[in-house]
Amino acid sequence: MIDFPALAALTIHDVKNRLNLLVQLAERKGDSETLRLAMEAAATLMRLLHAYKAGTGQLQPNLDARVPADLVDELAAEFRAQTPLRLELELAAAPVLAYYDEALVRMVLQDALYNAMRHARDTIRISVRSVAGQIEFSVADDGPGYPPQMLGTPAMAMAADGGGTGLGLYLAGQVARLHVNGDRRGEVCLGNDAGAVFRLRLPL
Amino acid sequence: MALTTNYSNKSLLILDDMPEARSSLRSQVGMLGFERVVVSGNARDALEQFRKHRFDVILADYYLGEGTDGQQFLEFLRTRHIIGRGVLFIMVTAEKRYESVVTAAECLPDDYLLKPFTAEVLKLRLERLLEKKQRLARIDKLQDRGDWTGVIAACDEIIEARDRYMVDAMRIKGNALIAAGRHDDAVVFYQLMLLERPLPWSKLGLARALHLRGDSTDSKDTLNGLIAEAPQLMAAYDLLGKVHLASGDPDAALAVLDSACAISPNSLARHRAVASVAEEKGDFKRVEQALDKVVRRTRNTPLRETNDIARLGNALTELGEPAKAVSIIGEALTNYKGDAQDPMLAAVEAVAQQKAGNPDKARAALERALQADATKLPVATTMAVAKACLSTGRHDEAQGILRKLVQTHHEATDLHQRVSTVLRDHGAAAIAESLVADSVNEIIQLNNDAVRRARAGELGPAAQMLTEAAQRLPGNTQIVANAAAALYFDVLHNGLDAEKVRQAQVFQKAVQAVAPGHPKLAEIAALVSQIREKFAASAQ
Repeated sequence: MIDFPALAALTIHDVKNRLNLLVQLAERKGDSETLRLAMEAAATLMRLLHAYKAGTGQLQPNLDARVPADLVDELAAEFRAQTPLRLELELAAAPVLAYYDEALVRMVLQDALYNAMRHARDTIRISVRSVAGQIEFSVADDGPGYPPQMLGTPAMAMAADGGGTGLGLYLAGQVARLHVNGDRRGEVCLGNDAGAVFRLRLPL
Repeated sequence: MALTTNYSNKSLLILDDMPEARSSLRSQVGMLGFERVVVSGNARDALEQFRKHRFDVILADYYLGEGTDGQQFLEFLRTRHIIGRGVLFIMVTAEKRYESVVTAAECLPDDYLLKPFTAEVLKLRLERLLEKKQRLARIDKLQDRGDWTGVIAACDEIIEARDRYMVDAMRIKGNALIAAGRHDDAVVFYQLMLLERPLPWSKLGLARALHLRGDSTDSKDTLNGLIAEAPQLMAAYDLLGKVHLASGDPDAALAVLDSACAISPNSLARHRAVASVAEEKGDFKRVEQALDKVVRRTRNTPLRETNDIARLGNALTELGEPAKAVSIIGEALTNYKGDAQDPMLAAVEAVAQQKAGNPDKARAALERALQADATKLPVATTMAVAKACLSTGRHDEAQGILRKLVQTHHEATDLHQRVSTVLRDHGAAAIAESLVADSVNEIIQLNNDAVRRARAGELGPAAQMLTEAAQRLPGNTQIVANAAAALYFDVLHNGLDAEKVRQAQVFQKAVQAVAPGHPKLAEIAALVSQIREKFAASAQ
């Protein structure tokens, strides 16, 4: 009998190694389209892996002191290589250090950025600020905005539609909830401004 | 600010078992400006490179094949001091999950790089990490040197600055407080950290400090709570095992280590820890099981350790299988020339050969064991050599070795029991208790005599007595510290004497090196400044 989860984990690992080679090849050739496809395929695999972990109670945060501005700088460098869209950063109000699981937060923000890339007209803005004892990461685009039924904090309910966005939002909600400090928990909040605004808030 | 960091003077090692990954990574770092790049396909070759080059940055893939991984490789480098703390070690991995399974904080890589990543991200990451290394360079050097007071002061500067390195500095400070023997201060420090934000590493630090100052109940409670919250944190199981062992409960220690092995079955360190606990219990079947795994897994890899073979050989001999022990030791001696100089292995071989009916070979092995400088051997090795002497009928030599061992550790009652047991097991029950008691009394008597003579104003003779004892028993920290204090006291009252000051400094440094928290050190430091004041004043 094949142990499917073990096989899947090995396969994900193997495919990610190949995608890594593809990313590096595309980057050397200056081929941003292939780079984006490979990076996005890797993000899809990450969602699959994390969905499995979330479903089996293995999604555990590894909280440590991190520099949020560094994370956003890296994400910006990664996404500027993939898209001609303008990427603006707003880090002036970011705390110097915050406690979170960097790999999980990175995954959530990557998913939000791919979603923004699909809907933005020409600009995406990533901002970090501390507000009311929380650190807030937000990804805003200038597209048509979220449909009204998605607004607010209903992210947990959206796993079932099976699409990439639904799973991404479900995982974002899970990751937010895993960030706890005392009786405070993280949350995901969807809103519309000039376009869609995705917000991840974690207790400081 | 410079737009491009100059990497041309930095040397970098790439370690990955996949040829395509190696060449791809190599061209990535080439684009960043690295010129001094060495690539390796396996840990053995990488270790060879460390003999030839000094590296500033190591990029190692987690998966290395051949039964090793990047984490084991890193632990090997750090525990053997092949790389200092100033070397940047980045683990390249496709999944984030390894960090939680790691043993000790000092065996953590500086960072993880998740695949896939672009050259641009690699560049940003390297810049940041090298910046951090630069900021912490002074602390790294002080740590490598073991200057914990210096480390604590340097950390305090960064903590006060409240910049991005604040928490890094806190982490290092907690470790330094413990390393300096300031256990009470460490407890308070970690408690304050936990008030700010409960993090696994500060809980672990608190538990370690509590354990070291003797609060085993509080330490266990803290660890059990930590394990419930973070069941992947292997270091918590390891420490809990130690706490159980220290409070005289080896069964509980084994149970904890077993549950850790179940979560992380590949950790060599943990199987070795199981073997140590089982040895203490005298459960040699368990020792054999645990070390057999380690020996199999590390055979012909750079991670193999001669000590594993010796302990496995001892367990087999204890289990009545000396022929098997002789065979695995023989294999080690054939394949690894350096093993012949290992006194522990030679001592174990001597017992096994004797029991296997080869007295000539036993004698030859024992000769090899006795060639080592006995004052520098670890306790376990000294015990093994004494046991080998007893097994081959050389009781006088055994008693000499054991007497010196007891006198070096004259307050270690658990060791004294082991010494009595080994004598009793080898037909020397008549002297099993008296050898220990006489040896201990001799030291107590010596200390008392020295104090009495010092009080009677005979400072010179008192210092002389203690100096001789310290030279004979360099491992007895109390005697060595007392000798340093007596010499300085003599100098303070009877005038400067270059030779006495030099000798006192040697003793003082020796104590600082092995027991930086030794209570006598403060008194010694006070004497030194009194001497400085007195003779500086008279010189004017």
